[in-house]
Amino acid sequence: MGFWDKVSNIDRRWIYLMVAVATFFPMIVVMQFPVELTPEAVQLYEAIDNLPDSSVVMLTFDYYPSAMAETRPMSIAALRHMFSKDMKVVTVSNIPLGGPTIAEDVTRSIAKEYGKEYGVDYVNLGYRANYVAVMHGLATSIESIFKADFTGTPLKDLPLMQDVKNYNDIEFIFVVADNATIDYWISIVNAQYNIPVGGGVTAVVAPKMYAFVEAKQLTGLLGGMKGAAEYERLVKISGSATRGMASQSLVHFLIIFFVIIGNVAYFVTRKHEKGQK
Amino acid sequence: MKKILRSDIIRIVTLTLFITGFFAISISAQTAEDPIFRTDRIAIFVFLLIFSSAVLLYTNWAKKGKELFVRKIPGIAAVEEAVGRATEMGKPVLFIPGIADVEDIETIAGLSILGRVAKIVAAYGTPLSVPVRYPMVLAAGQEVVEQAYLEVNHHDAYDPDTVRYVAGEQFAYTATVNGWMMREKPAANIYMGAFFAESLLLAETGNAAGAIQIAGTARPEQLPFFIAACDYTLMGEELYAASSYLSREPLLLGGLKGQDFVKLLIIIAILIGIILALFNVGGWYNDIFNVS
Amino acid sequence: MRNTLPVIIAFLAGIAMVISFFFNPERTVLGTFQENLLQWVTIVGGFTLVLGVFSIVRVNARAVSRRSDGWFYKLATVISVFAMAIPSIMPTSANSAFGKVFYSIFPISWAGAFGTGPDSIYDWLFNYVDSPMMETMFATLAFYIASAAYRAFRARSAEATLLLITACLVMLWRVPIGEALLRGIDVRIPDYINMFVMNGFNLSVQRGIIIGAALGMASMSLRILLGIERTYMGKG
Repeated sequence: MGFWDKVSNIDRRWIYLMVAVATFFPMIVVMQFPVELTPEAVQLYEAIDNLPDSSVVMLTFDYYPSAMAETRPMSIAALRHMFSKDMKVVTVSNIPLGGPTIAEDVTRSIAKEYGKEYGVDYVNLGYRANYVAVMHGLATSIESIFKADFTGTPLKDLPLMQDVKNYNDIEFIFVVADNATIDYWISIVNAQYNIPVGGGVTAVVAPKMYAFVEAKQLTGLLGGMKGAAEYERLVKISGSATRGMASQSLVHFLIIFFVIIGNVAYFVTRKHEKGQK
Repeated sequence: MKKILRSDIIRIVTLTLFITGFFAISISAQTAEDPIFRTDRIAIFVFLLIFSSAVLLYTNWAKKGKELFVRKIPGIAAVEEAVGRATEMGKPVLFIPGIADVEDIETIAGLSILGRVAKIVAAYGTPLSVPVRYPMVLAAGQEVVEQAYLEVNHHDAYDPDTVRYVAGEQFAYTATVNGWMMREKPAANIYMGAFFAESLLLAETGNAAGAIQIAGTARPEQLPFFIAACDYTLMGEELYAASSYLSREPLLLGGLKGQDFVKLLIIIAILIGIILALFNVGGWYNDIFNVS
Repeated sequence: MRNTLPVIIAFLAGIAMVISFFFNPERTVLGTFQENLLQWVTIVGGFTLVLGVFSIVRVNARAVSRRSDGWFYKLATVISVFAMAIPSIMPTSANSAFGKVFYSIFPISWAGAFGTGPDSIYDWLFNYVDSPMMETMFATLAFYIASAAYRAFRARSAEATLLLITACLVMLWRVPIGEALLRGIDVRIPDYINMFVMNGFNLSVQRGIIIGAALGMASMSLRILLGIERTYMGKG
């Protein structure tokens, strides 16, 4: 077996090792790269930025802990943006595992920095099963779906929720999701109740969302860690997504390198095989 | 043939007129502020009528013996070949009906295909493994597989644990299935239904385990992963067509033709929209499709 | 009857959902019917969870009792199921009837460990065991993408070559160094990728697949409603 045959049939564990090295290296040797903005990220930022101060916005935590590296920085940057404009934030999750807990941890820590008070400036509704029913139900009455918030406090005891009864009292919904719930936020909440919806999704889901941005059913889009880094740049913070860009850059280059090497090996071995015939 | 065509068209036109008339009278009788009927959804209602009529019309034609041509879908044709390979090798077939719950229509499509695959597997006497993520899918899956074994008179070979609940958490499920693949080395892996981030984890492990792999999903974001790691991939609507295609039942094939006819109408509607937009006169046309 | 009744129920439930979509929920019973029906789905789903637990215990307990390969891991699975579930359903206060009985046997100071709230056993297991494992599994995707790309991205034909070049360009565009590199070649390249690849080819292809899949879904739903497609019930 020649060199290129070996390359062509390389044990995939060598590939895994190289990816691991490319991921860890920038964590040891700190590298920072300037993040360029895409029109979709700017559109989302402007949609929120143009809302009047003290508007009520909804932020969803529709993601499992597994996708936190991509989605959590989006939630953090969005909360910083919203609290800096004194907006009232209602958080909700359509994911039973992770979403409500992450919402609780993230929102409370960011709110503390901005001196925001729970129940007055922000509320975490938590999770209720069957997101299709939840999305429809919130249009009629939030209290019909969530009798109490995540910690069990009845909504009637929370001052913010006295003014927020249904979608009519919410100016904008920022959906951060790692799965199909965003499809339903678009097709149910935006299409049927005319509430502007912006999206922050994992890189895998992002390509599908361009169709909805173009159709104006989605107001702006953040795709994956790069999208989160763009939003961090827009709200002028340097968060984990901006730091993660170095690892992502190296791994992307490595994959391109693999593709090139794989193709060279493919053509050389094919030529060799043809020669033998 | 002409007679069949004429009577069907008359029936559908009558039905359409009746329902449209019913809605038109109801709509005109109500106040604009607080309507009983959602007049803003009338466009969807009309589409529903056209779509249902087309599907029913073609289904009826199929029932009356009209020959319907359905193009060959290599991925579906490969299912039998994959099961045959598993039988020859004496290794099991892995079938995953997606990882969504039973309320997702993709899961229903997956279960329908499972019914067809289970019949082939039961006839060949090949071991089958169907790990599922939701208890509702477990109940439905067990029913489907048991019935398939009954229909080919191999009920004694049916094992109730063929369909088994693994874990409700996405990656716990994936880890278990991947572990099983590496230990049991199935000869064929069939993934049909709704898949998310685990699609490549499953398909790449299946590839490493040396299985022939057939996947089908209507999730466009997962298609590239399946295409890269599987031998055959059913894209979008092909997943919903698979069960009809495998059964070759005229009634089911009729539904496919009706669906194609509506697709043709949509293409025409898009082309009209493009032409009107080019001449900047498409405002009223866009309004027809505006739904809230 | 065994064959017909499920089809009738499926038809009635489905058609009720379709009709209620066109009615105003504030003016008619039909309008709220959809919401109620969806809540029934959730309740029925809750009951089927028992089936899931039964299945997982039966399959794994059998392997443990037979001492088959990897029985130890199967035992860990069964223990894990109960370790997560039991503390989460225990009462967190003595207010309920069950709580009163429970805390007459056990000290009330244990209350904080139960339920799903912060610092409970469930919360601890979730944050420090379940969550890191989930993140690890998702992270392995990067490794699998690399190996799949190495194996599958071959310029076998003109179409495959086009796909390969486009994929590499998008990969470069999505990271800062790559984008800087592309801008170095021509300052317009990143904008062109966004405009023509993502908002052009990608968008139109995605729409085509979405429309096709939606029609397939609608057609399948109609076949189910009319009882033409019954394989999912184990019939036909």
